[in-house]
Amino acid sequence: MTYLQKIRTRLTIHAHRKVLGLLEGEYAAVQIGRGMDFNDLREYVRGDDVKDIDWKASARGRQLLVKRYVAERKHTVLLCVSTGRSMAALNQVGTRSPVSKRDLSVFVAGLIGYLAVRHGDLVSLVYGDADQQHIRPRESTELHLERLLSTIHAATTERSGPADLVALLHYTARVVRRRTILAIVSDEVSVSDELADVLRRLAAQHEILFVTIGDADPTAAADSLTDRPLYDIDAGTPIPGWLRGDRRLRREYAALVGSEEAGLRRRLDQLGIVHERVRDTDAAITAVFRLLERHRHARRR
Amino acid sequence: MAPLTLPLAADDRHLHWPWLVVALAVLVVVLMVVWAIGWSRRTPASAAYVAHAARLRSLPRFRALVRRRVVLGVALTLTALVACTGAVILAGRIQETKRIPQSESSRDIMLCLDSSGSMITIDYEVLKQFEQIVAGLKGDRVGLTIWSGTAVTVFPLTDDYDFVQQQLRAAEAAFATGDTFSDAYDKFTEGTIVNQKVQSQVGDGLASCAQRFDRSSQHRSRSIVLATDNQPYGRGVFTFDQAAAYTKSRHIVVHGIAAPTTSARPLALAEFKRDVLLTGGTFSLLGADGSVPTVVDSIERTEARRIQKPPIIQVVDEPHLGTVVVGIGVGLLVVVWLVEGLLFLKDRDPA
Repeated sequence: MTYLQKIRTRLTIHAHRKVLGLLEGEYAAVQIGRGMDFNDLREYVRGDDVKDIDWKASARGRQLLVKRYVAERKHTVLLCVSTGRSMAALNQVGTRSPVSKRDLSVFVAGLIGYLAVRHGDLVSLVYGDADQQHIRPRESTELHLERLLSTIHAATTERSGPADLVALLHYTARVVRRRTILAIVSDEVSVSDELADVLRRLAAQHEILFVTIGDADPTAAADSLTDRPLYDIDAGTPIPGWLRGDRRLRREYAALVGSEEAGLRRRLDQLGIVHERVRDTDAAITAVFRLLERHRHARRR
Repeated sequence: MAPLTLPLAADDRHLHWPWLVVALAVLVVVLMVVWAIGWSRRTPASAAYVAHAARLRSLPRFRALVRRRVVLGVALTLTALVACTGAVILAGRIQETKRIPQSESSRDIMLCLDSSGSMITIDYEVLKQFEQIVAGLKGDRVGLTIWSGTAVTVFPLTDDYDFVQQQLRAAEAAFATGDTFSDAYDKFTEGTIVNQKVQSQVGDGLASCAQRFDRSSQHRSRSIVLATDNQPYGRGVFTFDQAAAYTKSRHIVVHGIAAPTTSARPLALAEFKRDVLLTGGTFSLLGADGSVPTVVDSIERTEARRIQKPPIIQVVDEPHLGTVVVGIGVGLLVVVWLVEGLLFLKDRDPA
């Protein structure tokens, strides 16, 4: 339970720091209902379970009535994690030591999954890259979640196929029939038209929570990020060291990244999808809760 | 005499170790290939991966940096190659086979001066004239022998003209006083009189001078400038006639300079003239003024035979080319590095 243990520890610290009881009432239910709550009676039709017949009411009402319950619906939280090779790269952490984007995506997915498991909901996983996509069954145990997390971790390597969120989402749309809370964890820098289409399609079926993970700045000076040589994981080529630490290049790159992120946010807002950019594990907790908060408000609107 | 043509300066440049040049050139090429391959398929063993770095390529600054890098890289590679080329050339040892033609003037001139007291002023004049001649000589060898009862070599035949001039001046200084009782004269002529009863032996003096010539196997123009008054005292080993015959047998020409006082003794004068002319030389009886122009003329007329020697073949390392190329390469390399460093410092992020 290494992944979950990490998350739990972090959460405890976080909860103590911020507000106790943060874990309660995390996300809005898909269908309003209170478990075994009795709702109403209706006339018996063929096929109803005989056990559901309310004999007393039937006696009073001179017709065969059956009790109707709002069946306790366990929500399904579907973690949709891009495990393309770009997710094995480094994450931007400012001046701190670099963290793998993989660790961060496992953390974010684990955090959402942990909240769901704590809530008694089912957690499922869709993951993949451009070459292959897979789905894991839903279950509601921490052990299962742990397995899902290790699956994500193992699938995200430098030798994976290139990341392809559109393909993964198409796969999700194809194989997932039920309504879920779809938590997408990827590292998109912009929303293409295809991505917008498939997101629109999925938003009709699911509640979408979109978490993107930032990239390391390859133009940062050698000592501030890492002393190791940089390697472009998408192109499979080294990033020459002389690109690092150049003032003008940093400025231009920062401007580009900033404008891309703003464009991404604008586009997702247009699509009505709540989105958070996650930078490190500490910020990830805040980001996930902020995401859930925004999602809840969005529902009530 | 037929002009001797020598194969002049047939310089031949070649490499001493051509195989080393080939080996090093191959090594450089192999290293470059290995480096290029290693560079292109460098395994990212300790690399830090970054995603979405392709965005960099759209930045104008990136293109500027790439252009600069290409220029610097090409410059660095070229200068390094130039330096390598120079080093390879140096390693191969360019050598020059120099054929130094040994064409020597082959005049040997022996000044043969009667150092007896009566000849002092004449000797002085002859030495003075001779000093001027020496200044214009090239490749010829001169020697000085003085004699009276016996002959003393002041200096042997040599072409070290500085030394010759120095010795001639010393001789002049000894004779300059015109006084036989001066210390300088005594010291200079020391050893010429062994037996007071035997002095001014022309025959012995001439024969001794004739024996001073070396390199008898070479065809050289050999001449003796004999200055005397032909007034022997006592009895020597050679008579003048015998000495002249001996000299002639050794193909040595004698130019005679007779002191003005000789004319007082017609027999001696006639003997002197006869013997000198016998060797094929010139004879001049000096006037009372003691001038010696004819001697100079006759010496200058002597044919300088040129002798042919096998050229000296010297194999000399010629490191100049390699050194210059290495210097240029390393210098340019340093310049490019400096430029690179300055550009780096200029554009470095201050953070």
